[in-house]
Amino acid sequence: MAKFKLYSEESNRSPLSRLWKKFKRNHPALVGLWIFMALLVLAVIAPVVSPYGINQQHSDALLLPPSWHDAGNVRFLLGTDDLGRDVLSRLMNGATYTFGLSVVAALITTFFGVILGTFAGLTRGIRSSFLNHLLDITLTIPSLLLAIIIIAILGPGLMNTVWAIVFALLPQHIHSIRNLVVQELNKDYITAFRLDGANQWYIIRRGIFPNIYEQIVVIFTMALSTAILDIAALGFLKLGAQPPVTEWGAILAENLGLIYIAPWTVGLPGVLLFLAVLATNLVGDGLRQVLKDRKAD
Amino acid sequence: MREYLLRRLSLLTFMLFALSIFTFSLSYLFPGELLTNLSGLTNSNYTSTQLLEAKYKLNESLLQQYIAFLGRITHGDWGISLSSGENVFEHIRILFPATIELCVYALITSVVIGIPCGIISAVYHRRWPDNLISSVTMLGFSIPIFWLALLLIMTFCLTLGWFPMSGRIGLLFEIDAVTNFMLLDILLADFPYHGLAFQDALHHLALPTIVLAMYPTTVLIRFTRDSMLHVLEQNFIKTARAKGLSQAQLIIHHALRNALLPVIKQIGLQFSTLITLAMITEVIFSWPGVGRWLIDSIYQRDYPAIQGGLLAVSMFVILANMTAELSHSLLDPISRNKAHGKI
Repeated sequence: MAKFKLYSEESNRSPLSRLWKKFKRNHPALVGLWIFMALLVLAVIAPVVSPYGINQQHSDALLLPPSWHDAGNVRFLLGTDDLGRDVLSRLMNGATYTFGLSVVAALITTFFGVILGTFAGLTRGIRSSFLNHLLDITLTIPSLLLAIIIIAILGPGLMNTVWAIVFALLPQHIHSIRNLVVQELNKDYITAFRLDGANQWYIIRRGIFPNIYEQIVVIFTMALSTAILDIAALGFLKLGAQPPVTEWGAILAENLGLIYIAPWTVGLPGVLLFLAVLATNLVGDGLRQVLKDRKAD
Repeated sequence: MREYLLRRLSLLTFMLFALSIFTFSLSYLFPGELLTNLSGLTNSNYTSTQLLEAKYKLNESLLQQYIAFLGRITHGDWGISLSSGENVFEHIRILFPATIELCVYALITSVVIGIPCGIISAVYHRRWPDNLISSVTMLGFSIPIFWLALLLIMTFCLTLGWFPMSGRIGLLFEIDAVTNFMLLDILLADFPYHGLAFQDALHHLALPTIVLAMYPTTVLIRFTRDSMLHVLEQNFIKTARAKGLSQAQLIIHHALRNALLPVIKQIGLQFSTLITLAMITEVIFSWPGVGRWLIDSIYQRDYPAIQGGLLAVSMFVILANMTAELSHSLLDPISRNKAHGKI
């Protein structure tokens, strides 16, 4: 509605601190950020803090339900699977694979996406048109399908999955970053910059990047949530991580046969996956909203 | 308009050309014997190898091979599946309708639920209906669909026993495959239990459709909401409000028409996501569609089948997207003026 400001308070704080101030007020996003951080820490220290080894079998405790259940045992907080392996330890280590590798994949994608997207934004004429046609084609094919195609060529496996996801996410990334760069290049201050004699590299480094890096973070979170879902989905389809690896999707697929007698072995990996994707989406959405609000000020 | 159509058509040709080049190169990229990847025949003796080499023009240039490949594709000779020994094209012809059927019902569900929810959410912006819908959407957007499918199976199939777990129809009914669309086939079939069979097929459809519809529904809700909020901020809406129109008049006559135009395009774009998600859904619910077959082919390293399946699925995705864009530009004249390749 009407955007009157009766008391226009002067705010001279830096853009970043204004961003954080607004972000703090969005509680769901803040909770998402905490979960995100917790998962990130877990992904790094999981092998050290998990109570048992991932393949350590306890033949005296097969298919133990979680400890709050009557038949549960407090030694195994989230119960055990059909080989007597501690579910908690396996899930903690799963964070390294599903979440950690997704972060790595999203970082690689962002790195190449920024480089190629900037080049794409700077090219003009027939090369740019050709590039756009090519991007248009790959954009119409969903990332998971593209990943499945690449897996079909490379063969199943965890590292192949990571590469497949990087390649599958890249077109979308290049496209978004190209759009940002082109948008920024058309602004007057860049023209003024150019008239002052700034060269191409200087314009990119001092003119464009300081203005788009926050947007790049938003694009990164979108890539991350897709990467988590894709890694887990490929693991679930047995095309990604192979069973002894504790990737959450692979754990889910491995325990699918136990869905009747041990539903917790299927339910819990899913809960973690859900939380990881939800946290990423909350942070991304919160950030996008905050950027929009700050622009409106 | 004619120029626009020509431009779209040339883009379509270019895309199909690129796709055919890609599919053609797949048989060279796949591990394994080239001749086996192309024909699907293993253990061939000397004479048959000679014949096949002549057929696929392996001793000639790549261009000749590519032309031969195009000829085979258009004639429906897509090679022979390594695992079943049957023609790949025949497999696709039988399996694809099942996937399309599932996708179409899921798309209808998501449009019927998604668009009204998005509109409500935008109209009651930042009040409780919006908060409720946005939160639920966020949850639905983040849920991995294979886990959702398993949760639904756990509650509705294993605990409550309301819905069957797998397949398209109960084994009691024998339906002749005419169109390979189950509901149509039941109507066309000639036996006395139409009603029961129809009900049974709907029961089998329920869970896969819900699972498949979840993601596109949330995308449509978010998109409709954003589009609607954007339109509601425009000046012509303020003018209309200043004229004294009621909220209902404002929304129905002024906001909706403008807000729903980009949504139409978005609906078409959902098809590509749906086809991919359908693969996972089909695997879980043992739905005999092209997605499950494709995944099985990957397990079995059935290269001719993978190649054919990918070609069919990608072609379908490209055509669906093109149709969406065309119908969008038919309804929205402004979008026609955008030169292609410019963003």
